[in-house]
Amino acid sequence: MDSEYAIEVNNITKAFKVYYDKSNSLKEKMIFWRRNRHENREVIRGISFKVKKGESIGLVGKNGCGKSTTLKLLSRIIYPDSGSIKINGRVSSLIELGAGFHPDMSGRENIYTNASIFGLTKREIDERLDDIIEFSELGEFINEPVRTYSSGMYMRLAFSVAINVDADVLLIDEILAVGDANFQRKCYNKLREIKGEGTTIVIVSHDLSSIEQFCDRSLWIKDGKIEKEGPPKEVHLAYLDYMNDAAIARQKAELERKKQEQEEAAKRQAEEERRRKEEEKRKAAARLRYGSQDAVFTDIHLLDEKGQDSNSFTTGEPMTLNLHYTVKTKVTDCVFGFGIFRSDGLWVYGTNTRIDRLPNFDIEKDGSYTVKIQHLNLIPGSYWCDITIEYGAGIPVDYYKKALKFTVFSNTADVGIARFPHSWELNI
Amino acid sequence: MIKEIKEIYAYREMIATLVRKDLRGRYKGSVLGFLWTFINPLFQLLIYTMVFSVIMRSGEDQYYLFLFVCLIPWMFFASSLQDGSIAIIREQDMVKKIYFPRAVLPIATVTSGFVNMLLTFIVVIAVTLISGRGINAAAIACLPIVMIVEYILCLGVAFIAAALTVYLRDLQYIFGIFVMGLQYASPVMYRVDNGLVPDRLLWIFRLNPLTSILNSYRDCLYDKVIPDFGQLGYGLAFGVVLTLFGFFLFEHLQKGFAENF
Repeated sequence: MDSEYAIEVNNITKAFKVYYDKSNSLKEKMIFWRRNRHENREVIRGISFKVKKGESIGLVGKNGCGKSTTLKLLSRIIYPDSGSIKINGRVSSLIELGAGFHPDMSGRENIYTNASIFGLTKREIDERLDDIIEFSELGEFINEPVRTYSSGMYMRLAFSVAINVDADVLLIDEILAVGDANFQRKCYNKLREIKGEGTTIVIVSHDLSSIEQFCDRSLWIKDGKIEKEGPPKEVHLAYLDYMNDAAIARQKAELERKKQEQEEAAKRQAEEERRRKEEEKRKAAARLRYGSQDAVFTDIHLLDEKGQDSNSFTTGEPMTLNLHYTVKTKVTDCVFGFGIFRSDGLWVYGTNTRIDRLPNFDIEKDGSYTVKIQHLNLIPGSYWCDITIEYGAGIPVDYYKKALKFTVFSNTADVGIARFPHSWELNI
Repeated sequence: MIKEIKEIYAYREMIATLVRKDLRGRYKGSVLGFLWTFINPLFQLLIYTMVFSVIMRSGEDQYYLFLFVCLIPWMFFASSLQDGSIAIIREQDMVKKIYFPRAVLPIATVTSGFVNMLLTFIVVIAVTLISGRGINAAAIACLPIVMIVEYILCLGVAFIAAALTVYLRDLQYIFGIFVMGLQYASPVMYRVDNGLVPDRLLWIFRLNPLTSILNSYRDCLYDKVIPDFGQLGYGLAFGVVLTLFGFFLFEHLQKGFAENF
């Protein structure tokens, strides 16, 4: 045994099996024993280092680089796949504080439970009890159940136990988030004191300055290997450079991505605008034409006296509506109708087959209907014609507003809406 | 091996803490609390007395005592196997997060069952005295030896059960069924040597280390004779081999515990 070193790590590797679907039951293991698919994720790919007794080292690296796994391997929670780890002396870890704390037991009882998990005997705990209680600053609360503690008090107690174990090797993972500023300062001081007493310390942290304060040496771990080791300042400089480059690259990529995103957004917006307009148009059209569409108008015509398509008429002339429709689903108790509106929306006239007392009928196949207006007695102007297919009490099947437009002319300058056939008799 | 045992010894306070927690937690929340440790077996005994001396009469003159002096060691064995099988997975949060020699957990489970048996035996001996059956001081003096032999056997069983169940969770239920069957392959409710068990099945009982241990309990407490140490020696040898094997198996498998939750 080389007693100069507290920790000797010799070319360790560690891979985790990442199961796609983990089975722990017999049935699954038997049925799927070929199918227990997993991927081996190599986290540590050959790390070696030695730590002298009394030396403090820091492990730095970005998230997922394997530094916390290294710490777990050092604490023997997990074991390396190959290589060896040798530690001389008692190990205490500040990785999971407050293990085994029981909420219903008092702080004092929990000190015994928690310290026993660190491998302390009753006598050793008795010796340290006062130190622990004093350090935790819990005072009277030490006899209260732990469940009544605030999270700060809880962490203070847990930290006090762990730090008073008097380990030869102390493993620390992101400690210094414990308690308020005062307590943190106290923790730092205690750590310095422990270091002064010759305890070997391994710290994993993202807080580089605290490592620079404490540690004699830094190991930068990158992708499961040691990238650089040496005096903390030097290593951290290289590490920060690397992280900066990575950050700049990331920023560039981010910028690029944002630019692309903006372009795409603009495109999307234009597209949306276009779609919205179309939609509006379609909606407007729909407002002009609604109903169940079981039967719909197909061919619609306005015919003049001679049976020719026309959209201009002279007042008093005949006008014929010739309307063809197609039937999709049989319409029972059908009603045909039409209406005439002046261009300003005034309803001039409207009627349908029911109003005009035609017998009830159903429509089953394509057909047409014709409305003959013998005298179109309208004052000159522009007019719209609405045409309708309804059923029952006026439920629309195809209600087609403004289906046809026509203009009325006249050489007479009478005014109003309709021309009533009339004659004058003058008795002057 | 020596190193591991030394480390476990260093963690003796943790074992003690776990045992205390388990014994105290067993009747947690009840008004009588720890007293139930004594009340429970006392009433169990009372019921057996009524059933076996009034309804189901058997050849033994005090069948309830005959049964009870072996039922309690049997229950210790059964709990060592069944509680032992979940000793690790029950504490998986701790196993995942911090280091301690994992063997502490099955040792604590067995020790807790052992202490519980000791306390129950206070009731048994008291009843033996009161019922007029009486005790033989020399025979009673042998009782601790028998208990230690059983403790060793239980330890081996718990090591194996605890380690394997982490990797195959079904085992905890399989052990439950195994225990149910094993009770009838052990001289808990009847004697092996009075011709009740057919000859062609006797080899099962002879192979079973519990036969030697349970017979020795009955010798000490019911028949009031010094147990046959030759017979008990088989149980001891079996237990020592099982414990050594179990410990090696456990130490081998424990490296993967934290990754198997």
